[in-house]
Amino acid sequence: MKLIVVFEKTSRLRHIGHLDLMRAMQRALRRSGLPLKYSQGFNPHILLTFAAPLSVGMPGKREIMEVPIEGEMTGEAFLGKLRPALPPELPCISARAVDDRHPAPMAQLAAAMYEAKLDEVPEGLAEAIPAFLAQSEIPAIRKTKTGMKPCDIRPMIYDLSLNGDALRMTLALCEKATCKPELLLSTLFDFAKLERPHMIVTRTQMFGEKDGVFYPLEEM
Amino acid sequence: MNDLENRKLEELLETVQRPARYTGGEMNAVRKDWNSVKCTFGFCFADTYEIGMSHLGMKILYYLINERPDALCERLFMPDADMADKMREAGVPLFSLESRAALNEFDIIGFTLQYEMSYTNILEMMDLGRVPIRREERAEADPIVVAGGPCAFNPEPLAPFIDAFMIGDGEDVMHELIDVIRDGRVAGLKRIDILRNLAKLEGVYVPAFYDVSYNGDGTLKSFKPNDPAAPAKVKKRVVKDLSNAIYPESIPVPYTEIVHDRMVLEIMRGCTRGCRFCQAGMLYRPVRERSMERLLELADKLQQSTGYEEMSLSSLSSGDYTCLPQLIQALMDRYRDKRVSVSLPSMRIDNIVKQSLEETQQVKKSGLTLAPEAGTQRLRDVINKGVTEEDLIRSVTDAFECGWSSVKLYFMMGLPTETDEDLRGIGDLAKKVVDAFYRVPKEQRAKSGVRVTASASVFVPKPFTPFQWAAQDTIDTVHEKQAALRQYLKLKNVHFNWHESELSMLEACISRGDRRIGEVIYAAWKRGCRLDSWNEHFKFDQWMGAFEDCGLDPAFYAHRERPYDELLPWEFIDAGVSMAYLKRENEKAKQTQTTPDCRHGCNGCGLHTWGVCDWVKDPPLKGKAKTSAPLAE
Ligand code: SF4
Repeated sequence: MKLIVVFEKTSRLRHIGHLDLMRAMQRALRRSGLPLKYSQGFNPHILLTFAAPLSVGMPGKREIMEVPIEGEMTGEAFLGKLRPALPPELPCISARAVDDRHPAPMAQLAAAMYEAKLDEVPEGLAEAIPAFLAQSEIPAIRKTKTGMKPCDIRPMIYDLSLNGDALRMTLALCEKATCKPELLLSTLFDFAKLERPHMIVTRTQMFGEKDGVFYPLEEM
Repeated sequence: MNDLENRKLEELLETVQRPARYTGGEMNAVRKDWNSVKCTFGFCFADTYEIGMSHLGMKILYYLINERPDALCERLFMPDADMADKMREAGVPLFSLESRAALNEFDIIGFTLQYEMSYTNILEMMDLGRVPIRREERAEADPIVVAGGPCAFNPEPLAPFIDAFMIGDGEDVMHELIDVIRDGRVAGLKRIDILRNLAKLEGVYVPAFYDVSYNGDGTLKSFKPNDPAAPAKVKKRVVKDLSNAIYPESIPVPYTEIVHDRMVLEIMRGCTRGCRFCQAGMLYRPVRERSMERLLELADKLQQSTGYEEMSLSSLSSGDYTCLPQLIQALMDRYRDKRVSVSLPSMRIDNIVKQSLEETQQVKKSGLTLAPEAGTQRLRDVINKGVTEEDLIRSVTDAFECGWSSVKLYFMMGLPTETDEDLRGIGDLAKKVVDAFYRVPKEQRAKSGVRVTASASVFVPKPFTPFQWAAQDTIDTVHEKQAALRQYLKLKNVHFNWHESELSMLEACISRGDRRIGEVIYAAWKRGCRLDSWNEHFKFDQWMGAFEDCGLDPAFYAHRERPYDELLPWEFIDAGVSMAYLKRENEKAKQTQTTPDCRHGCNGCGLHTWGVCDWVKDPPLKGKAKTSAPLAE
């Protein structure tokens, strides 16, 4: 069977890159004494997949990984073993046991919600958001492997709002279409002709989609 | 650090190279409540996180201090140049990784001295951490600055900056030192009185209590205590029983990649081989082995607490560990299922290990490192490196037969009595190693072909070695020899690395320096020197300027042979090995006479009078009296 595990990458660890985080999780799992599955080959490692890598510099509130194990085990029992093996800065929140045939979170991923905490909220930002969203097309320049490409990000923005000093956004995150928060933010501030304050952007939730409705990815 | 500084730090972390090395939060990092302890210790490593976190001594002491309920220990490292500049600009002090406390908030700050060329980093760290650099400038409330580690055996170059040095093994004296400072602070003693109490501890040197004078020719005239608390000789500390000594059962596991990212078992301390250039081999005497039982217990605990996938054994000469094959076998058996690989020390590959190699892939075939040190048997005899060409070729052949394909060979150039023939010998030896590879049947050897890397460092004479009186080659001579070596090593499959001769010259000045060298270090730091061991930051001309500022000649320290009757700046330290023994060894070197490994009989190095050396009588050799030579790491 396998477990769908929700964990937090706290702000303190936001500068840890994806590969380093994977290695840290590998080692945590090794410390846990759980019945893990290993890859074949010369340098065996624990089988483990993350729903989506997190950018360097970005904390994640509810990150998701999938861990196959040998035998049967409840989510609580799994959590009970993994918790003490993790540092306080990398706590796990929940674990759900599912059948091996259960689709992988990575394959079901559709969107993610982010929250940008602004050091100060520039005047005019609140007013600019409705106008920004009212555009039928939002041209942006996306960096791709093959160079800079113009694209329309409007269809990839599912939600954008300002709540106090936090900009909340829900953006497409899947194989077909991905809008990184950074792209939205730079486009938004350009549109509003505002200077960007310092901010920390956190990924707060990932979603899967069913019949046009988003559900938390860990519940899919 | 206050809130404002914290916020600024968060911002500048977004703009520096590899910020993750400044953020801590690792598994097993110890975070204690500052209000719950009576003494806070800021452990400083005068190099970057990647290097410092790979260092065993730091892990031992970090664990040891944090095991005390009345104290806490947090880690501080030298920031990289971009970070240091930005911190200074933003007004962010040097901070600990655990609770982001500024350096000057600790009761004690301790530096571990591993390498002379990191000394400017010590000044830079204190400056960034708002601790007055010169000890006489420190106020009552400032931290007490202590230092230990191998370079503390000649503490004089740092005497203007360090309040107290710990000489020798740190496990016991660290506790005593913390007790004295804790009690002194609690009782409200003056700084000078706390230092006086420290000076009474065995193995502690407090430079404020000693006066130095010089002769007209610049040599040392006298070195005397000026306070009744200070002993005329400071005796190094020795932990007699390693098996019962504290050893970390958990260590912080870094997120970012560091130089040695694995668990380390210190199997033995000290070395009996008696190589005449080797300072560690003299300083860490006597040889003490950690019992196999204790090592296996530690290995289990470390494996469980770290989750590391690799384990390595550490000592000066692991091949000499009495039960090495049994130990390796036991470790491999234990961790096969847990997928932990065991990296073997530089070594002879014993039969038993060879067998295991064939049945498992558990042993990492990282490069094989051998240190013949010199190119001819004559010169190896001079330096008492008990390795023959035959040993070497057998070692590499064994390794090639087991699938190894890359070999690193370490040499030194500029050793006493060296001639061109010895340099040629380095080329010959490298060639013979390549040939040994091709003599292994094709089916058995690695398909990748062989790669030999020959590295030649510049010999640096060190205190407490038989060569402590010797002159180092001048920079010009070194350059000539390097050019010659480049020719001799122009060989297929052989790659040649050499060291900056300027850096080695400065290392020689500092390692045998007196108190005045401290002023040179200070002047060099003032001129912008730091991170000197990193090529891109090394500023040789500024160092030369610093010597000029102080009116001192580097040649006096590096290129001058000392007469036996000269008072040496480190002579007030009793390292166990006697001056008489060192002279005897130096004379034998001149005669090309070797001295056997003292496991086969005590050579009377001086420690035999201390009652701490198990090998003086009835060496506990377990059926292994005659071994082939190990090749130190
Ligand atoms: S006391 Fe004798 S046996 Fe011990 S280290 Fe010294 S020479 Fe070797």
